[in-house]
Amino acid sequence: MGVLALALATASAACTAGSADSAYFGKVTPPTGQEMRYISGSEPESLDPSMSSSQPDARIIMALFDGLTEYDPKTGQSVPALATAWEPNEDNSGFTFHLRAATWSDGAALTAEDFVYSLRRGLTPALAARTAYMAYDISNAQAYNEGAVFARDDATGRFVMDPANPTERLALPGDEAARATLLATPAMAIARNKRYVAVRAEDVGIDAVDAHTLRYRLRQPVPFLPKMVSHQFFRPVPQQAIERHGDQWTRPGKIVVSGAFIIDTWRPYDVIALTRNPLYYDAAVVRLDRLVFYPIEDLTTMMNLYKSGEVYATFNHTVPSSWTALVKNYKDYMDAPELATESFVFNTTKGPTTDVRVRHAMNMSIDKVSLARFRRTVKPTTSTVPLNMFPGYPSPMGDPFDPVKAKALLAAAGYTNAAGEYDPATFPVSEMEITYNTSESNRSTAEFIQAQWKQNLGVTVPLRNMEFRTFLQTRSRLEYRGIARSGWIGDYMDPFTFLSMYMFEGGENGSGWVDSEFQRLLNDGNRAQDPAERYRLLALAEQRLLDAQPTLPLYNNATNYLKKPFVKGMWANPVTMHAWKFVYIEHDPSKWDDAN
Amino acid sequence: MATPSSSPAVPQAGAPGADAPVAGTSLWKDAVKRLRKNRLAVFGFVVVCLVVTASLVGPWIIERATGYTYDYIPTDPALVNAQPPFTAPDGSFSWLHPMGTDDAGRDILARVLLGGRISLMVGVISTFVSLIIGITVGATAGYVGGKVDEAIMRGVDVLYSIPYMMVVIVLLAFFGGRSAIGQLVLLFIALGAVSWLTMARIVRGQVMSLKSQEFILAARATGVPASRIILRHLVPNTLGPVIVYATLTIPSVMLLESFLSFLGLGVQAPLASWGSLAADGIQNIAVFPWQLICPGLTMAVTLFSLNFLGDGLRDALDPQMRKG
Amino acid sequence: MARFILRRLLVIVPMLLVVVSLTWGLIRVAPGNFYSGEKKLPAAIEKNIREKYGLDKPWYVQYGRMLANTARGDFGESLKYPGTTVNSILATTLPVSATLGILAYLLALVVGITAGTIAALKQNSRVDYASMAAAMLGISMPNFVLGPTLVLLFALRWYWLPPARWDGFSLHLILPVLTLSAVYMAYIARLTRSGMLEVLRSNYIRTARAKGLTERDVVVRHAVRGGLLPVVSFSGPALAFLISGTVVVERIFALPGLGNYFINANLNRDEPLIIGIVAFMSIAVLLFNLLVDVAYAFFDPRIRY
Repeated sequence: MGVLALALATASAACTAGSADSAYFGKVTPPTGQEMRYISGSEPESLDPSMSSSQPDARIIMALFDGLTEYDPKTGQSVPALATAWEPNEDNSGFTFHLRAATWSDGAALTAEDFVYSLRRGLTPALAARTAYMAYDISNAQAYNEGAVFARDDATGRFVMDPANPTERLALPGDEAARATLLATPAMAIARNKRYVAVRAEDVGIDAVDAHTLRYRLRQPVPFLPKMVSHQFFRPVPQQAIERHGDQWTRPGKIVVSGAFIIDTWRPYDVIALTRNPLYYDAAVVRLDRLVFYPIEDLTTMMNLYKSGEVYATFNHTVPSSWTALVKNYKDYMDAPELATESFVFNTTKGPTTDVRVRHAMNMSIDKVSLARFRRTVKPTTSTVPLNMFPGYPSPMGDPFDPVKAKALLAAAGYTNAAGEYDPATFPVSEMEITYNTSESNRSTAEFIQAQWKQNLGVTVPLRNMEFRTFLQTRSRLEYRGIARSGWIGDYMDPFTFLSMYMFEGGENGSGWVDSEFQRLLNDGNRAQDPAERYRLLALAEQRLLDAQPTLPLYNNATNYLKKPFVKGMWANPVTMHAWKFVYIEHDPSKWDDAN
Repeated sequence: MATPSSSPAVPQAGAPGADAPVAGTSLWKDAVKRLRKNRLAVFGFVVVCLVVTASLVGPWIIERATGYTYDYIPTDPALVNAQPPFTAPDGSFSWLHPMGTDDAGRDILARVLLGGRISLMVGVISTFVSLIIGITVGATAGYVGGKVDEAIMRGVDVLYSIPYMMVVIVLLAFFGGRSAIGQLVLLFIALGAVSWLTMARIVRGQVMSLKSQEFILAARATGVPASRIILRHLVPNTLGPVIVYATLTIPSVMLLESFLSFLGLGVQAPLASWGSLAADGIQNIAVFPWQLICPGLTMAVTLFSLNFLGDGLRDALDPQMRKG
Repeated sequence: MARFILRRLLVIVPMLLVVVSLTWGLIRVAPGNFYSGEKKLPAAIEKNIREKYGLDKPWYVQYGRMLANTARGDFGESLKYPGTTVNSILATTLPVSATLGILAYLLALVVGITAGTIAALKQNSRVDYASMAAAMLGISMPNFVLGPTLVLLFALRWYWLPPARWDGFSLHLILPVLTLSAVYMAYIARLTRSGMLEVLRSNYIRTARAKGLTERDVVVRHAVRGGLLPVVSFSGPALAFLISGTVVVERIFALPGLGNYFINANLNRDEPLIIGIVAFMSIAVLLFNLLVDVAYAFFDPRIRY
């Protein structure tokens, strides 16, 4: 009774609070000054750009540290930042960046040496940075990070070169036993009986040509390097502060930054408040005096804080899908395609899903248009690389929705009755499970897919949810049965960030699928000089991936979040990284509906 | 200062009455008689029976009548969205979904009824298990006292302190079985492992306070064995707080169950329990309030009724009340 | 009594050893690790991480280090939040959780005992039914429903109170404290009522009445003490749990308390943080239960140790 009364009261509260006479959701009262309040997601793990590995951290790091290039606030493409210009060498295996005159927040000059220091530090094995792999294409970076050794001929003083890549030195395991095993193989005969010298930080392919010129030497062509260096791992860190304060250097009072803002207060799980950095090279464009991040995880809490006007914007994917019907009519709702694909992977190493026909049949029998409609904020896809994200990239299309063909494929795979027709009863659902990590949206998607297969194939595949870390282990060890959830948010604006997931052995993608032709096409693509030719080769590789179907692409996400009308200079972009230096509070309501 | 009364021993549960040749039968007969006089308790009993029956046969009837099951997502994409109770897609009155539908267009009534099976089973079985373990452990510790009490209660303290989540994660990793039955057994183990701890403390406190009373001293003096004293004399006299605490345990294990399903323990989606339905509903309270109100109200009414029934039982079994 | 308390305090040491050892064992056998992510890490990086945190050492070395840390009361650095020590996390979150927990429990005690006593004295009256119905409502309304409902009304409809976040002693505390105390209030009210009913019919109360004491004196001086025993039993673990954080309320109201950290530490397999919080929690459980046992002797003079 009481429950009913309360619930009715709240229901009416919900209706009145979202009154139709306002174009905006909840309270719209701008702060008196230039203060931005933003919900940034989970508590950041680390604000050290080299150490951080998660998106919530990156959102804050965007305000503290500048990169060589930055994400364009509208398109997410790279734009000049600490580097004003750059040029590749003839085969994209080397890049020269020209740096602007800039200083750290303590007044020290920020030079090419800082980049050299930062990359070497980031790759130091003892630092154990999780995103160090981002830099592995830089010459000798992987060898240094792995603690490897080079083989040097004492007689000639020359290093043994890598037979697979003659421009690079051969790196051997630092561990003696592992090295001995490897040297025993015939291919490694060239490296026997040499002097083995540890790879040093100085061997990593980054040089300060002069104070304002920085050069990267790469082990292979990486045409998208200028996009990649926007990632926090490549951002310079202040040597002077790190040497003085050790791992405490990111704390308020100790931190030295290169970006537009500096940390003033940091109370874990509560608030991170930033103030302006007056020594920032572009300080003239910065309008905010104070930038406050709230680390909050609960979606309903975020919506409440937003509606009551306590915060002015939220990070991406924060509008629960059932709320979109209510919220999308307000001008607060921000929506743009995101650099992300939601999918499932098939276990290609055991069970019915080892058969490529079964994988195709399961893919074909999901009506992805209906699924996208059900999920409300997403766009259906049959491809792995997000559609319409990369102009000029000829996205290959996967199987269309076709339950009839799906049944035929299953019949061909042997799931037939005595008459040779497809018979759902013969399909071993007991060897299948839709495995996902616990979350409301993952569950909804899994339930929908289960219903689709039930309707279109007549099989009921059970669901199984797991807590995140258990799930990750189960998936990477290929211990799951049949199907597991998988999703990827691109690290940089290039199709390669999606395709490289399937490039290496070791189940990085959780499907167990490896294909040398796929790898060859990607490598050839990256070596191609002409961008159009590169995209063509990458698309061929993707086509191969879709033909083999170790993955089941479902939809491309959208960056649905909320923003008060008085917050300007903040756009919905595919990477949902906001350039905080352009954000400001517009106090004049007549300008709230202006395009920017 | 309260002094123990000088009056003769308090009548005990199961004490032979003039009209009862067999003590046990008399206790229960009397209790049932008193229970039937308690109108609230009878009301509670009827409602609980109704809910149980509806949970058992309801989903089957709904499927026969309308074709809806707990996991039926309509094939027509236009129907895959939340509909208020008693409303057809065009907004007119309809009997199709008396509790409305969820975001996927599934019938909430069917889901609530099926969820009732899970939640009631979880609530009743786990509470029963916690009663048995809690009373045994608590009464033993309280009655024997000394080193035994010390050891048992420190053991209980250790169990309080071990991170429960880790236990569940590990349990799942090792026994997270293939079969649905195995999952269910695991769920009861996980729920039973915690819910008896406070129960044991409460029983122990009561027993410690009772054991120096005259009727216990008298029983001991006449050489009644300890187990008999505990079972026949002490436990019945602690039943008041115990039954109350048991009725409190039912909702808390029902909610604990929805937390465990977050870790992957218990029933798997698309099956849902009342706890998980309410947890889903709360997120949409501002948008689709019926998704919270319908499961929430069903759960509340059931718990209210269980509680009235529990209170009635408490009064009916109360040895002192019986005297009057 | 002094010897009893001393003995119980000494027991804390072996207990702590058992608890942290068991916890450590659980973390070791739990699947997954703190560094896994959506994209599997290259083997070399995994090796670097394991070396950095000493996970490549034999188990007894790691176990010994954990015990040494616990003995020193310095649990080291969190794995999930590099550069942040477990002790600093405890130091910042504990005041929040403790403030919240103690306020909520005090409120629950005051309201619960009052309501429970009145209900018992006027058994089967309207007051009794009303307060017990309210208590049942408190129990059957989980805090993850009550919290957002209160927020919707007080923060989003009428804009009277802030919807979330921590701001020391301020209006921000009202909704979380109410949400947190509701269920305890209900528990206490019901336990008080049944305990009081039991006591009111017992012989010593009859004696007290027979002696001609006023009803007020009977209730306040005699009945309440015996009738509160179940509440006392319940209070030890309840307070220990409240003080070590309540994740649901902390999440709903975005409060920087211990509970949120603890849940995330479990999910992240953040060993030092889990061990630190568990060690703290087990000491809290032991101390509060000791307090409860001491309180038994006060509430019921017949209990002797």
